[in-house]
Amino acid sequence: MSAFFLKRALQAFVAVLGVITLIFFLQRLAGDPVLLLVPQNATQADIEAMRTSLGFDRPLAVQYFDYLSGLIMFDFGRSYVQNVPVWTLILSRLPYTLMLAGGALLVAFGIGIPLGVAMAVRRGKPEAKAMMGFVLAGQSMPTFWSAILMIIVFAVWLGWLPPSGARSWSSLIMPSIALGLLSMATFARVARTAVLDELEKDYVRTGHAKGLPMHRIVARHLLRNAAIPVVTVAALEIANLLAGAVIVETVFAWPGLGQLTVQAINARDFMLVQGVVLLGAVTAIVLNLVADLLYSIIDPRIRLEGNA
Amino acid sequence: MKTVSRPFRSLLAGLVLACSPLALQPAQAKDQFVVDLTNEPSSLDPQKQWNPDSYYVYRNIFDNLLTRDDAGKIVPQIATEWSYRSDTEVVFNIRDDVKFHDGTPLTAKDVAFSVNRIINPAFASPQLGQFNKIVSAEATGDHEVTIKTDGAYPVLLAQLVKLSIVPQHVVEAKGDDAFNAAPIGSGPYKFVSWQKGVAVALERNDDYWGDKGVFPTVEFRAVPDAATRVANLQAGTTDLAVGLDTDLAAQLESSASAKTLSVLTERIGYVKLNPNLPPFDDKRVRQAVAEAIDKQTIVDGLLGGVDKPATQMAMPAHFGYVEGIKNYDYNLEDAKKLIAEAGATGKQVGFATAPAFDQRIVQAVAQMLTDAGLKVDIEMTDMATYLKRAQSAPASQAAISFGRWSCACQDVDGVLFPLLHSSSSWASGSSPEIDKLLDEARNTLDEKGRLEAYRKVSTHVAEEVPLVPLYQAAIIYGAAKSLEWQPTANESLFLNRMKWQD
Repeated sequence: MSAFFLKRALQAFVAVLGVITLIFFLQRLAGDPVLLLVPQNATQADIEAMRTSLGFDRPLAVQYFDYLSGLIMFDFGRSYVQNVPVWTLILSRLPYTLMLAGGALLVAFGIGIPLGVAMAVRRGKPEAKAMMGFVLAGQSMPTFWSAILMIIVFAVWLGWLPPSGARSWSSLIMPSIALGLLSMATFARVARTAVLDELEKDYVRTGHAKGLPMHRIVARHLLRNAAIPVVTVAALEIANLLAGAVIVETVFAWPGLGQLTVQAINARDFMLVQGVVLLGAVTAIVLNLVADLLYSIIDPRIRLEGNA
Repeated sequence: MKTVSRPFRSLLAGLVLACSPLALQPAQAKDQFVVDLTNEPSSLDPQKQWNPDSYYVYRNIFDNLLTRDDAGKIVPQIATEWSYRSDTEVVFNIRDDVKFHDGTPLTAKDVAFSVNRIINPAFASPQLGQFNKIVSAEATGDHEVTIKTDGAYPVLLAQLVKLSIVPQHVVEAKGDDAFNAAPIGSGPYKFVSWQKGVAVALERNDDYWGDKGVFPTVEFRAVPDAATRVANLQAGTTDLAVGLDTDLAAQLESSASAKTLSVLTERIGYVKLNPNLPPFDDKRVRQAVAEAIDKQTIVDGLLGGVDKPATQMAMPAHFGYVEGIKNYDYNLEDAKKLIAEAGATGKQVGFATAPAFDQRIVQAVAQMLTDAGLKVDIEMTDMATYLKRAQSAPASQAAISFGRWSCACQDVDGVLFPLLHSSSSWASGSSPEIDKLLDEARNTLDEKGRLEAYRKVSTHVAEEVPLVPLYQAAIIYGAAKSLEWQPTANESLFLNRMKWQD
């Protein structure tokens, strides 16, 4: 068990360092943000002065090690554009991203899993086909489109929900659905396949033989066995949610990390981009670790070993 | 992905709007006025960032030394009058009845401090380039400030329109970061709160010395997607939205709750030709480009007729605008002939652009040049890369580049000098004669002499075609139906110049 963790921690460290290095140099390949910061009629001397004061005239290696040594002290640098520590900016946006991801997961799990199970159990029946149609629609509708459609119907026409912003809990409803729909479709399909596999197994027949009703077989025995692929997908899907959030946050003016990232990239706000990417990498690694741990809880036959 | 979807979204929103009996009633005369910006301000310290989303907000919190009236004329604000002691020394008289929001009187010392703060290289203000001809500012009396420049500087007043006055005691006591997070000014609105990424809230300054605003509280929100800003207007949750294009504006035309407001700005759209690269080293080809571009069609067909074709790199309200500049008329046949004569038919030329520009115009221009016989490759890069290339050595700049220029100073010095003077990194040509004219006009206060110099430069531009001025850009706002407001050419949102219709 401890060998497993040691190995994973080492892997994680190398992965994070790789990601930081890559993003640090990739961004700087294409120049620096100075030209975006100065007014249009700034002279070459003004531009050089700004470059020096922001430290972009130093050798790349120096800038890189400067950044790394800051990271060791948990100093993520300052945003050049907003003149605020990166960590402060990220912290101010993180709660919104977590709320949105939570809402979207609720939609995805809450609708996707029951739908998948129902589609498997009722395979071939008309209602299962109708459900499949719904899932397909959810999967093929681009987020930017479903989002603007929802705004027009529920905010402009009906006036039930606020069109955008983050004023109240009701502002969270539409973004969560828009973001959750895609993952919902994935969950439904994975759950359907997993349940179908399990339905063929002997223990299901035994359940039938001893007179258990279908819903009890599913709830008591089958779901746990079908959960492994769903958990695997969930870990990947949460990372996808963060990526999809970029569009949803932009359309609904939801002040999460996705929106912040787009702004930062456009403005070449290097430190801020690095901070967000670092956070994303750590999140993805932690989620995968959690998924591995969950396997062993769901199915104790899977043991965590050093070569896992 | 967003670009692909836009026409569709516009269509959808238009359809929905056309057949909607349920459109909500406009929010009228309510307590809170809501403005949708594209992004949140980068900073509220008026001496740091310089971008519309920032100054839309902070220009309401702060007073400037001077300002422009709705017609664009420079008028007093904190300074009541000014006089030149010499070519390099201007004395400003300061109002004595202005108080900062914390109750402290605004003094000549605060004005001097504000100037000296922004010109201090260590402060690293991105706006430094607008003020670095100033060498010092000094409070020379209780209500008197003397500003010295390093030579005669005719654009000084136009630049000081953008100088916000910050309170010395607050900035020194709190430090730059804390001041940026909770700014204190003397303007018509007071800062209340800044919820990062969500909104900046302001409230009316009831003790304001000048025209007070009519809205008790105001909220500036960040709404990055233009279609969402339009939906907000239609739902009545927003009273004013910035950054609409003609497609989105068309949707509001039939709206019961919202309307559009537009104004021509000082921003000029242009294409710049690089005379260092063939085929533009041949004057005939440059002339052909000028003749091949149908400005009127671009304005009417693509820009919805709100913008205006330009004959020079200035609008009439610019200092240095010259009446009667004659451009080459649109003449496709002649353009083809000139290009054929120069042996440039089928020559490949790169056309640099960036996502921030209107690609419809870029494509239209590219097509027009293709019709005239050139082979145009549109080279789209992100803004930072585009800027880097536009300011690189002349030979490595693109053969053609699209641009939109505003010096935010309404003086052609801020346009022609950077684009044409050989010392400027933007310039790709070099002509000692033009350099001399631009230098002369930059370093004298003699208005007649300056105008004469600019007449020569603009005539040179029209004849030699180092660049083709295309159109004077308009800016389109969406607003609640009952808002009464005259947008201005300098792209400011002064809340105390807005009101509700009765």
